[in-house]
Amino acid sequence: MIPVVQRVRRNTELGLIVLGAVVTAGLYTLASLGTTANLPVDIGPFLGVVLALLAGAHVATRRLAPASDGVLLPLAGLLNGLGYVWIARLDPDLAALQAVWTAVGITAYVVTLVLVPKARDLDRYRYTFMLIGIALLLLPLVPGIGKTVNGARIWLQLGPLSFQPGEFAKIVLAVFFASYLVEKRELLGMAGHRVGPVMLPELRHFGPVLLAWGASLLVMVLERDLGSSLLFFALFLVMLWVATERLSYLLVGGLLFAGGAVAAASAFGHVRQRVDIWLDPWAAATDQGFQLVQATFALAWGGIAGTGPGLGNPDRIPLVETDFIFAAIGEELGLLGSAGVLVTFLLMVGTGLRIALAAHTPFNKLLAAGLTAILGIQAFIIIGGVIRVVPLTGITLPFVSYGGSSLVANYVLLALLIRISADNAESELQAP
Amino acid sequence: MPEPLLAILKLCALALLYLFFLRVLRAVWAEVGGARVAVAPAGRPQERERRPLARKERPSSHLTVVEPAQHRGRSFSLADEVTVGRAAGCQVTLDDDYASQLHARIFRRDGTLYVEDLGSTNGTYLNTHKVSAPTALKRGDRLKIGGTVMELTG
Repeated sequence: MIPVVQRVRRNTELGLIVLGAVVTAGLYTLASLGTTANLPVDIGPFLGVVLALLAGAHVATRRLAPASDGVLLPLAGLLNGLGYVWIARLDPDLAALQAVWTAVGITAYVVTLVLVPKARDLDRYRYTFMLIGIALLLLPLVPGIGKTVNGARIWLQLGPLSFQPGEFAKIVLAVFFASYLVEKRELLGMAGHRVGPVMLPELRHFGPVLLAWGASLLVMVLERDLGSSLLFFALFLVMLWVATERLSYLLVGGLLFAGGAVAAASAFGHVRQRVDIWLDPWAAATDQGFQLVQATFALAWGGIAGTGPGLGNPDRIPLVETDFIFAAIGEELGLLGSAGVLVTFLLMVGTGLRIALAAHTPFNKLLAAGLTAILGIQAFIIIGGVIRVVPLTGITLPFVSYGGSSLVANYVLLALLIRISADNAESELQAP
Repeated sequence: MPEPLLAILKLCALALLYLFFLRVLRAVWAEVGGARVAVAPAGRPQERERRPLARKERPSSHLTVVEPAQHRGRSFSLADEVTVGRAAGCQVTLDDDYASQLHARIFRRDGTLYVEDLGSTNGTYLNTHKVSAPTALKRGDRLKIGGTVMELTG
């Protein structure tokens, strides 16, 4: 039985990887035709490198997690490829770096699969992970090595290398939350008072919620990083909700965050400014709102099928390679292309939740749900910010945006999900 | 290059992109809905015929509580797969503060019963050995889950 499932899943994966690489190479060619009216000189090597990188990840999965899910890796590869096409079209220098980061990311994917032969092994290092997570979150505040870029103090500069430790903190903290909540969920899920139709847990059990809330506010105020602050708090709330099945945590946490955000908006200029340009970017169309206004123009110009890769002007948008890459894809591939990005995230989140549902142990279940939540929440926050559904907070679009830390961290996240799905299949089918 | 040609190529690329999604959906569908159709091998027919026979011949197994004294003699019959724990959803529900909600799983593969710990807090013990991987059970084995000891009877 198990070899059949393995074969079906791995062959599915290989087929999808090849198709995804063809899509990527096709768009790369079109983007070159659009910008320079020439076929790209390096299209052969390009397709070769894309295939080689993904095939490397595929072969590693075949050996290290043969029974794992077969669609996650091709979906991530497609997003990575789409992002690369637009980064290359906008800034060839960044694209060279992004190619290196992709190679590092896939190496990190393989290394994670090697280091974590069973997802439950992570459960043992609960407090180590907690300490690492907090350290990674707070490191940018240390004078000397912390660096402020574009107003947010989330960078770490060590010699020539700079990276965002927060990208890794989110994974480490998801592992810690999963481990902690599996142990405490019975306690946290106990009913206390009843307020109308809602069962509220005992007041003292809101302690951890308050702690997470305080930490996320601290990040918001000290590091001026709204996106990460929102991501961490939402991750904690979602995992708490999944672990205890108590909606009240979600409601109370949401109210707490809303309260904190309103207070922050009135107390801190940079938060208020984000809210103002969200409500009306046109009032400041030439300064603070410039980026959002340009993104709106780009999306409008794209229409249904877009201007065509290489034929738009997404370079008008500041920071288009990182925070606003979605607007660039929306301009040049239109509604169809940007909906394609959304569909890819939808399929990844759906697959992640399917892995969580199939997990046999509470820890695996919760970890898979948490990792999936990270992907989904992050995509929602930044895409929602670009299309003005929520106030804009600068975080990367997973796998698509330019950014080494983000790309490598997301490949590690992917490896953990793949590992959990392999565990599922093994305990499902394999008699020892 | 003429613009209409580029537009056509662009639409082709988008079509390929959506073909990719269709194939992903088909793969997901094969696992969720049509798992049996896609996964089950054509197989040798005699194998399929043998299965129900084996099921009939198999003696039904039971878990009988040995400790604690107040539950002694309580017996649970074992289906092809049962979960053991404190949660009400378990087929073998234990009223035991030292057992986890979802503590262990007992399942049958090729006629043999196996026990697997489901990441319980206090662990599952088979004849005083801690169960770390799915382990085969035989008649007379004693399982300790939390403060409860149960014996596998025929």
